[in-house]
Amino acid sequence: MIFEERQVEKNNFSSRAIFLFILVGVGFLVVLFQVFSLQVSSYSSYEIAALNNKNYSVPVQPLRGEILDRNGEAIVRNEPTFDLITQPDLIEDPELLLEILKPVIHLSAAEESQYLKKFTEKAFVNKELVLKKDLTIEEIARFNVRSFGFKNIFIDKRHRRISDYPKIFSHVLGYTSRADNQYDSSVGIPLSHWVDAELTYENGLINGKTGLEETYNKHLLGKYGQRIYEINARGRLVKTLAYYPPEKGLDLITNLDIEAQMSAAKALGDRKGAVVAIDLSSGGINVLFSAPNYSTNKLSNGMSVKEFKNLIQNPDKPFFNRALQGRYPPASTIKPAIGMFGLTNKLVAWDDEIDDPGFFMLPENGRIYRGWKKGGHSNVNLKKALMVSSNTYFFKLAYQSDMKDLASYFSLLGFGDKVCSDCFDEDQAFLPTPEWKYKNFNVPWFTGDTVNIGVGQGYLVATPMQLANYISIIANKGQSITPSIVQAKQKILKQETASQVLLSNRDWANMHDALTSVIEGEGTASSIKSLKTFQVAGKSGTAELVSLDSKEAYLEVRDTELLRDHSIIIAFGPMPNPQYAVSVVIENGESGGAVAGPVAIEVLKSLLNEQ
Amino acid sequence: MSNRYTKIYFDPYLFFSLFLLVALGLFFLYSASNGDLSIVIKQSIYALLGFVIMILVSQADPDLFRRSSLAFIIFAIFLLGITYLFGPEINGARRWVRIGSFSFQSSELLKLALPIFLATFLSDKRLPIQSREIISTLAIILVAFLLVASQPDLGTGLIVALSGFFVLFLSGLSWSFIGGAIVFLIISSPLIWNSLLQPFQQQRIATLFNPELDPFGAGWNIIQSKIAIGSGGIFGKGFGEGSQTQLNFLPETKTDFIFSVIGEEFGFLGVFLLLSIYFFILMRCLYLALSARDRFCRLVIGGLTLTFAANLIINLSMVVGLIPVVGMPLPFISKGGSSLISLFFAFGIITSMGTHKKFLPQ
Repeated sequence: MIFEERQVEKNNFSSRAIFLFILVGVGFLVVLFQVFSLQVSSYSSYEIAALNNKNYSVPVQPLRGEILDRNGEAIVRNEPTFDLITQPDLIEDPELLLEILKPVIHLSAAEESQYLKKFTEKAFVNKELVLKKDLTIEEIARFNVRSFGFKNIFIDKRHRRISDYPKIFSHVLGYTSRADNQYDSSVGIPLSHWVDAELTYENGLINGKTGLEETYNKHLLGKYGQRIYEINARGRLVKTLAYYPPEKGLDLITNLDIEAQMSAAKALGDRKGAVVAIDLSSGGINVLFSAPNYSTNKLSNGMSVKEFKNLIQNPDKPFFNRALQGRYPPASTIKPAIGMFGLTNKLVAWDDEIDDPGFFMLPENGRIYRGWKKGGHSNVNLKKALMVSSNTYFFKLAYQSDMKDLASYFSLLGFGDKVCSDCFDEDQAFLPTPEWKYKNFNVPWFTGDTVNIGVGQGYLVATPMQLANYISIIANKGQSITPSIVQAKQKILKQETASQVLLSNRDWANMHDALTSVIEGEGTASSIKSLKTFQVAGKSGTAELVSLDSKEAYLEVRDTELLRDHSIIIAFGPMPNPQYAVSVVIENGESGGAVAGPVAIEVLKSLLNEQ
Repeated sequence: MSNRYTKIYFDPYLFFSLFLLVALGLFFLYSASNGDLSIVIKQSIYALLGFVIMILVSQADPDLFRRSSLAFIIFAIFLLGITYLFGPEINGARRWVRIGSFSFQSSELLKLALPIFLATFLSDKRLPIQSREIISTLAIILVAFLLVASQPDLGTGLIVALSGFFVLFLSGLSWSFIGGAIVFLIISSPLIWNSLLQPFQQQRIATLFNPELDPFGAGWNIIQSKIAIGSGGIFGKGFGEGSQTQLNFLPETKTDFIFSVIGEEFGFLGVFLLLSIYFFILMRCLYLALSARDRFCRLVIGGLTLTFAANLIINLSMVVGLIPVVGMPLPFISKGGSSLISLFFAFGIITSMGTHKKFLPQ
């Protein structure tokens, strides 16, 4: 090659080499720019992504609050239980471990197979595994003596929701059960992490399902804590980065009275029915009892399928809360309300007398409405009509009433609506109106229908809760305070403003006098007069399930227990300055005053500490 | 002539910058292997061996490489053939050849042999290069590419082909030919996509453009690598403190993705320092190429350096999410003996070509 050509080649090479190296330089710049945008411009989002990768937060379950009665005694509390926990990651041979452990702690075949099944998975991610729940004291003692031999096994404290009165308070308290995916999203922990929650309860993450446990779940639950683990790419827990302890739930201070609830249960015996008692000064519900019932302890902490099936299929419906959901005709207990309506609308005065021949004849068609006593009560005024429970008097008064006005008066007394501020699943029962009847049956409201309402039969039905509310309005002389289970001073329930039913002071005094005479005078419930030392006012009732014209006919249906009359009483005392009101309904109990009456007295005595 | 036996051929710039790079690499590898000292010791032994090889190789006269280039490439192809027929199958590919207790990737040898052979072939051709020579060169490149790609190892195959193209381009391939080839490639690219690429290769390209499509599958590596680098910030999380690296969210930390480890633990400053060292080495090589004694040396230095640069840029672009994931280590840093030895061998040749001068004035 000659020199010039060599020079040309060299220049050619140089320019091409420089060209390629410029491309390489551009490549460097592009990479550098990309790194810059990742590390500087988008730093914060990648920083978060890296934290999300390695941080694994799990909720730490708080201890639920206790539910206390009005004397501060626990109705539901947290009972410690002890579980045997292992760390599979540190255990080499699980089967060998079970062999060594067996002589110390009894393990069922199911517990063993369950343990071995989950062992590998838990070891892989370095999580704990429960080997046996609810150790007995003997097992704990045996294990503790030998615990030096079991390095990676330990006993951990868990809790159970326990009531010492599981049956009598079952409907009020309700039960808790596992919170299947109903987790507290405000904690800010992803849903998928909740399976790894640190448990405080043996039964897992629990929520209230019914009763107070449900209504006040948010207060009882407390605040979840958080443990933040560092995990690696396989999801294995490496170490704890941070721990925020949970906050125990709020204790609920209720108006319930354990003694009074127990006396209600005892007085009712094995009969079906409900008892509600209200503190007149506060509207607090002292007794809320329904029978038959079930054990919340069993339901909250594991009940066999068979037991549960039996409860569900029981014809007496133990899950049915009769106090809040039972719909009963108020029968004669409605009579004070009819009287108050008559006074308010000037249809009657206390001194007006009528003749009671034992029946009432509807002028329109001559239809006969019979009283409960053959031959009647002769001359009756309002006080006597209430005392002897004259049907004729109230048939006549109802006949004079306009149903629309009467219905709105009833609703002032709480009929046809929920009356309790914090009761679980309360039924509003039913208050009929002319429009309702026309809409549903396509027939107009007859005066006969109103006449029936006059003695609490017919379309009108009420719950024991509504009856208790109604009698406490009367006891408080028109002052209506919304009943509540939890004490108002705890300031966690929304108490509605009290309304008033206006009647003159003289009228209220007369009304209290008349209702006192029902029990203390020669009234229909005078049989319970001698059961106590204080005076009680009230009104009894016998709700007919079948409409019959004669006593003979009733004696026939009486053979079928489920067709027998319901026995009802509403009462308040001690007179003349009442402190408590109570309503009692006993299904198929017949004659109101004599059957339901003693139950009401027992409850009042208990509330007044007059045992 | 007496100098010839007393002078040691040695380029201090190249030597010390490579020494710095390798030392940093060992340091990074310690963290990338979650503190596994045995891996670092093994790698340092390879590195020491590499430096010895580089110094020895650089003493040889360039003419020795020219004269033995044919034998060299035949030997390389022979080894590839042996690997193809008898090599152990790992993950469905036969890439490794085993001699005694030492095993290496046979394609590494071809990455050196091809540019030297083509430089020999083209160094005495007149300018401009004739079509006959172009066609023979392209044929040789194609054969080399196919041999490696059929292992299958598409990534290395492309690098081998690229090393050939660099030499061809530097030796004076006409621009019109290059332009035509580019147009042809663009037109035929749909055909390449459909018929030549394996489905898993197509998927790699697809996930590049949208890694979120498959966050736990093919997109995982890219996503985790970007998170690692991005979360490093300006100053990094510190040596051994990278959560992506230490908790194994980042894949292949010791090999292909070691750059992400550096990005996570040493931040933008660390990355900048590393890239500066690489850039300095490349600039020094360019200087050596431009000042080399003859056309053969120029072509060899140019070809080997650019192959090294391509290797580097492909790895970097891959881990920062600019191009699809292809198996390619970060030169001088990633764990791996045969890659390291072959790199030192290449830099030995570059030093030889750059430091041997003709006594006759040019």
